[in-house]
Order: sequence, then structure tokens, then C-alpha cells
Amino acid sequence: MKTLRPVFIFLALALAGGYAFALEPVPWNHKDYASEFKYFQEGAAFTADTWALVLPEEQEKALVEAKEPALERQEAIKAYYAAAMAKWNSPTLRDYTSKTKETDIKAVHLWLGKEKAAAFSRKLALTHSMLKKAKREGLGDEDALALEPHLKPEAIADLRSLKAADEALKKQASPEALKGPDSKSTAALDKFAGPDPSKLGADSFAKLYDNMSASGAEPVVAGRGQYAGGTAKAAAAAQLTAPPVKKPAFAMPEVKSAPVDRAAAAQQNKSTALTSDAYGVTVYTRGGQQPLTFRKGEEAVAAIRRLPDGSITRVVFYGHGGPGLQSVGPFDVDAESARDILKGKMAPGGVVQFAGCNTSSIGGATLNPAVGLSMVARRLMYFSIPYFQDRLNGTPADQAKQQWEKGWNADLARDASRNLPEAVVCGYRTFGLVPGRLPGVTAIMGNQEATTPGYVAGKKACFQNGREVPAR
Amino acid sequence: MTDLSYILETVLLLASPFVPVMIGYMLRKKFRVEAVPEGAAPAPRTGAQKLGRLAGNLLFWGGILGILFMVVVVLNFKGKI
Repeated sequence: MKTLRPVFIFLALALAGGYAFALEPVPWNHKDYASEFKYFQEGAAFTADTWALVLPEEQEKALVEAKEPALERQEAIKAYYAAAMAKWNSPTLRDYTSKTKETDIKAVHLWLGKEKAAAFSRKLALTHSMLKKAKREGLGDEDALALEPHLKPEAIADLRSLKAADEALKKQASPEALKGPDSKSTAALDKFAGPDPSKLGADSFAKLYDNMSASGAEPVVAGRGQYAGGTAKAAAAAQLTAPPVKKPAFAMPEVKSAPVDRAAAAQQNKSTALTSDAYGVTVYTRGGQQPLTFRKGEEAVAAIRRLPDGSITRVVFYGHGGPGLQSVGPFDVDAESARDILKGKMAPGGVVQFAGCNTSSIGGATLNPAVGLSMVARRLMYFSIPYFQDRLNGTPADQAKQQWEKGWNADLARDASRNLPEAVVCGYRTFGLVPGRLPGVTAIMGNQEATTPGYVAGKKACFQNGREVPAR
Repeated sequence: MTDLSYILETVLLLASPFVPVMIGYMLRKKFRVEAVPEGAAPAPRTGAQKLGRLAGNLLFWGGILGILFMVVVVLNFKGKI
């Protein structure tokens, strides 16, 4: 028992330390974090109920992450409101009355309060009704007086002259006015004096712009119908005679991937190195027989952009990962660029897989010692080492703390899922061990340049709209 | 104070993989199989002794594997493997 005494002392100390570092839960809408909670509410990241289920350390992390964007958002709303409540000129009036949405007023309500939202709403309602009235029957002196606090004098003058201008336009549109002056310049446009359009080299223009060689002289096959000549009548006739094309209820253009020559691909993937240089992007599409695979991220992005909306059922970004970032060789993907690349392209419930280490946050407590070790390694590598490096370089402690506390446990999968509402986004909470990447094994298997990971030993986490869902 | 707390945290984090190894080592030592003179029958071990020895072995070798795992992870992070 005596020999075990130091162990018990050490454990007691560690427990005491753990208790000292333990965190209290933050109540929903706590006044010290007003901006952060407004930010959560606006983005529907949490509700009072879901917040209560979040672990204290996760709460603290979410609050730290939200601090900066929340302040930015608050400033933006303040600036928006100041501009909205200033006196408008005519273009601004048109802009606000046509583009302001209910959500804008809701945002002002959330961030700046009920009274300001009501004032903004009143101004919009007044200007809207006055704009209609100005077009319909013109504005009187009383109306002009009512608009005075909201519009610049020239905007009020424009509104007052709106009816007169409208009437003048209607007059211009009368058949007499449409005839126009019988001048030489307009008469010259009556007839097209040049040769047949097809002889003007229109084919080469077409080729220049869209690589089509259609000149208009020959019949053009379009679908199953045939456009036989240059007149609209013929085209209409062709449409009528063409057999109807049956379309499925949910028409989805089929994506045909190029057939894969496996022998050639294996040869291409062959590398002489003992260690792995595997990375790539794999895209699975609806109706596609084979997945599309790319080594270069830029090529994958270009191909994804060409795919129809809602056609991707699964996309795997494979390579080295880190908190908040997935690398695919020299190409990096973060939550913002994932949105830019995949926006609208994912099928409902489609899966975006970041197959890289630490592409999700560490998550809650665990009894799995390997996961625990991975957490320790992540904290040491992405917080402790860079923190002390910064301190040695003379960065103030608070600044270094804020910088690295924010980043070490960043959750790429969760953040990307907020940007891609239709998709399920998955990442790894731990370092991932890919057997096929092990030195030597990779050389034997000849997959040093594989574009898909195969089996990954790691703890996977999936999110949809920022909320965790079962792993896919 | 911030630095001090992070130094303490780092020390604890770095030490944590060694804790199971240390406990395992001590358990193995405590429940060591005694050498017996040649020809003599070894003293029968109780269930608790067997369990203690097993736990010690698991912690000791599991801990070493964990440390090796961390070394692999760090080497991978540095781009060596």
C-alpha cells in the first residue's frame, strides 16, 4: 500500500486541479453575453432549451467563438439602422421600399430593441403608402409634411411630380406617340439591307462565344424535334410535330462520369515513396455510376460548379486536417469556402465528409483512453505549443490566450453545416489513423496517392444545421 | 497568472499518458510472481492477486502503446510520416 501512496497523492492533486478548472454553466441570455446570445438567436444556433443541454466547457467555447462575429453583427445592424432612419433621397427610398424584408425588421428588433424596430417599421409603412398614393393620385401638402422627417426635400419633390411624369409616359405610349417622328434615321431601320444573316459569318461569332457552329442555315436538331428553317412559324410547327418527351416528376439531369480505366489509374497512383501522399476529393452524384475523383482541389471545384443543383449525394475531402481546416494537398477548405464550393449543389440529406484529423471539436467527456489521448494531443499541439511560442515571441498573454483558445477546438464540420443547411456535414473529433497511410504499408499497397481514405480509425461526428446528428 | 495556469495544465497534460504506465508498473511490482527455488512448487495465487497483476499489465502496456500513439501523431503532425 505504501508504494501506491504517491499515485493516490498525484491523483488527488489532479482531481483538485480538475475541480479548480471546472466551469459553471452560463444561463441563457446572461446579460454579460448579450451580444453573443442575440447572435445565437439570430442564427438559430441555440434555443434556451438546447443551450441548457450544452456542457459548460462547450458553452464557454461557443461564447468565445461568437464574441467577435456578434460584435461585428451588432455594429453592422447599428450602421444599417442609422442609415435607414436618416432622411432618404429618391434612389434610397426606392431601395428601401423594394428591398426591405420582414427579416430586416426582425433583426433590428432583436439587436436594437422593440422601439427602434417599431420606428423603422412605421417609416417603411408610411413611405410605402405615400409612394403608392403619389403614383395613384399625387401628394398633397399634408402628405409632404408627413414625409418631411423621413425624406430629403428633393425626394419629396420627386414624389410630388411622380403623377405628372406617369401621365406623360402614358401619353407617350399612345399609338400616335409610338409612331414617332418620320425621320431618316428611324426609317433606315425599317429594312435590313445586308445579305442573308447566315452569310455574315455568324457561325464564327457563335464559335467564338460558345463554341457552337450553328449558322442558322442548316436545320438544328434540338431534342427530338427539328427546327427546319429560319422562321418562328417553322419552329412552332416543329415543336407541335415533335413527340412529347416524358420527364420524371423530379427531373434531374444525369451526371455521367467518365469510365475509369482501373489499370491506368493504378499506374497513375503509383509512387516510389515509402510514405503516403494521399489526398483528393471524391464526389458521388445522383445517377452517376462511378464517383468522380480528383487529386487537385481546383479541378474538383470546377467540376462541382458544372454539376446541376441538388445533385451531390456525398462528397469526401481527404487529406490532412486541423481544427477549422481541411487540406486537400495544397488546396484548403474551411467553412466559408465549403459554402462557396457546395452551395445549392448538395442533394437534401447529402453528406459532406471532411476526412482529416480534428475536423470536428473534441466533444464531451469520454471513457475511451485513445480518444482521451487524442484530446490531450490536440490541446498540446494546437494550444499549448503555439501559446508558449507566442509568449516567447513577446505576444501579451491575453492576446495569445484569446487567439489560441478560439482556434484549438474549432469545429469545421459544425460550422460548415450551418453554411450548408441542406447537407449533413461530418468530421473527426480525434486524430484519424488511416492504415493505408502507414509507412511501408502504403508502398506495398501502391496507394501513396489515393484520393479516398478507405477505413479511418477515429471518432466521427456529423452535424446538420449546427446540430449533431447520428454519424453517417 | 495566465502563464502559470497554462504551464500547470501543460505539465498535467504531458504527464497524463504516464499515469497509467506508472500505476501499471506499481501494480506489477506489488503483485510480482515470486521466484521459487528449483523443484519447489510455486505458492498458489489468490484471485485478487491475479486480477491485480492483470490490471497492472493492462495499464502498463496500454500506457506505453498510448505514448507510442502520441509519438506517431506528433510525427504525422510534423509531416515526418
